[in-house]
Amino acid sequence: MTLVMVVDDDQDLAEMLGIVLTGSGFDVDLVNRGDEVLEVFRNNPPDLVLLDVMLPGIDGIEVCRLIRLESMVPIVMLSAKGETQDIVRGLEAGADDYIQKPFRDKAELIARIRTRLRRTNADVVGILAIGDLSIDVTAHEVRRGTTLIQLTRLEFDLLVALAKDPGRVFTRDALLSEVWGYRHSTDTRLVNVHVQRLRSKVEHEPENPEIVMTVRGVGYKAGGPA
Amino acid sequence: MKGIRQALRQSLAVKVILSTVLLSLSVILLAGSALNSRLSDGIRSVSLTSAIAESRFTFFNAQYQMLLSQGETLEERRQIIADLVLSATTKGVNEAQREMIFLKAPNGNKSAISFEMSSSMIKVSSVPAELRTKVQENTELQYQYGIASYTSGVKGNSLFVGERINIPGGGRYEMYLVFSLKSQTATLDLVRNSLFLTGLALLVLITMITWLVLRQVVRPVRDAARIATQFTKGDFSQRMKITSQDEISTLAHSYNEMAYSIEQQISRLENLSRVQQRFVSDVTHELRTPLTTLRMASEVIYNQRESFDPFVSRSSELLAAQIDRFEKLLEDLLEVSRFDAEVAVLEAVNIDVIALVNRCVRDFGPGENHNNALINVVCKDSSIHIRADVRRVERIMRNLLANALDHADGKEVVVTIVTTETEVAIGVRDYGSGLDESALIRVFDRFWRADPSRARFRGGTGLGLSIALEDARLHNGELDAWGRPNKGAHFVLTLPLIAGSSIQARPISITPKDFHQESFYL
Repeated sequence: MTLVMVVDDDQDLAEMLGIVLTGSGFDVDLVNRGDEVLEVFRNNPPDLVLLDVMLPGIDGIEVCRLIRLESMVPIVMLSAKGETQDIVRGLEAGADDYIQKPFRDKAELIARIRTRLRRTNADVVGILAIGDLSIDVTAHEVRRGTTLIQLTRLEFDLLVALAKDPGRVFTRDALLSEVWGYRHSTDTRLVNVHVQRLRSKVEHEPENPEIVMTVRGVGYKAGGPA
Repeated sequence: MKGIRQALRQSLAVKVILSTVLLSLSVILLAGSALNSRLSDGIRSVSLTSAIAESRFTFFNAQYQMLLSQGETLEERRQIIADLVLSATTKGVNEAQREMIFLKAPNGNKSAISFEMSSSMIKVSSVPAELRTKVQENTELQYQYGIASYTSGVKGNSLFVGERINIPGGGRYEMYLVFSLKSQTATLDLVRNSLFLTGLALLVLITMITWLVLRQVVRPVRDAARIATQFTKGDFSQRMKITSQDEISTLAHSYNEMAYSIEQQISRLENLSRVQQRFVSDVTHELRTPLTTLRMASEVIYNQRESFDPFVSRSSELLAAQIDRFEKLLEDLLEVSRFDAEVAVLEAVNIDVIALVNRCVRDFGPGENHNNALINVVCKDSSIHIRADVRRVERIMRNLLANALDHADGKEVVVTIVTTETEVAIGVRDYGSGLDESALIRVFDRFWRADPSRARFRGGTGLGLSIALEDARLHNGELDAWGRPNKGAHFVLTLPLIAGSSIQARPISITPKDFHQESFYL
């Protein structure tokens, strides 16, 4: 069974999320306080974390950063704040995706969770090259020479999506549907923030990228092999 | 000239200095010329009096000598006259201070012997003819100002004094004394020059004094103006410096009190509105979490409605629908509070307006909800690229279309798109129940409804059009409304091609082309 950790200070909402997720076939761990998250996380590592922004103890953004220090687990933020800076802050702290309260319907929530859990690019096998990196899709590893580069699952998926089609320019909308599983695009900031994060890990000079290239006015494409 | 006039209008100092200079100049001129004429008159009358007295004595002496010389020889008498002339003349090499001319009267002297004589430097012809006539006709002493010519060729202003002298046995003669006015003219020139220089010095001094005094007054006034300007620009911390106890400091004092009071008021109002906006925003945020729970719970129940009895089943449907509506209202309220707090941010990207409009129209396609109205899009271009906030423009379009369809009474809705070099306009026209004048004024008001009794197909929140207007204005665009009862309504959105630049024209006029004023009144 897949374990989803639900972190929300509103006990009723947490319980309701538990009911819905259990109904969809997930195991659920409920946590109400930010400062309790890490302990529960270490004792019983979940497959995905559903994390509210406003939490007692430590706030959601800080919790997200702390989890990222020790795990690449998918994190989906739940936010009652629609303001741009909160969303960007959450994504920069390491969240893969965010869902704004109240959600359109539970199907949306479940769909997002499933996208983050499934093995994307299941059709791709073997080893891909992008710039001076080699990507072992099967082993889920990225290396520069012999050095292993730690990426979150989402960052890995984003890199593979670009690398498997080297000549193609991806619009932000295309990446949103391919990597995040959005049916209609709303927020391309999601793509921008993750491209920045990915670059900071894989590029020699993030300001002068050679692996994830920007195509002005269109989107992104993979850099050629070194 | 223009520059001077402008300086006069703009600077108090220039105005005061200029008027001080002009006024003192006229005072100095008046006083100077009065003084000058008084002094000149005085000097002239003193010298005239002494000249006449001298002449009287000389003439009397001459007459007396003549009487005494009766019976002397011709030669001796000539010598006496020569001595007279010599003694009356101031000695000198050049034109003397005083010369004498002794002439035979042209009538009344039949004697063949002439005793005519004059001092050597003066030309006899200098004596004015007018004076000669007067001397010949009167026995009294006569005088006149004139120009004396000297043998050296020099001419000069002079005073001529003359009288008749009788030489016993020699007939009637005229004796003239010529006083040179050279030194008197020099004195007068000196007086005039001194007066002029004094006047000039006075003028300069007055100007400087005025400037010094003005500086004391104008500088605090200028400071006050500068501080008031900064205050107007929004720097409410500006205060005037108080350094003395005079009228300026009183002004500064009152000004500072006023500034303090305004600052207090503004910060109080700012605080109030901040608290109020913060409250609305917090309330909306706080409502979201329970609403999420509510929504999920209702969905779980709704999905099970088949297994309930009809009443519970219908209730679950109503519950789900109302939660939808509640949520939409909450979103709109949050958006309105963002506009009120002026924190709404424009996220402009390049978009194709035609594609956007077509997408919105498709979502409102026929058969949707209870409405069968058709939406026709009229546009000459195949794509129009603008820089705008896609979420906001889409929201404006959806609000306009929803509003048009709600009031179209099943008739068609026409969307027109026209573009120019600088802006794009989108008109949404319906032919339904329309709007009257009073409704047009309020159509963008929050929670205002054209006809409260109307059924609401689309369940709008009542905030749609006011949000649309704010969205348009955030782009520096405009949203206008037109309507006539039973003739439908027309909403026109005009946006600059680049969000934020200003709109130059209205490519679609707000009164629709298919509406004719005459036919409305007939």
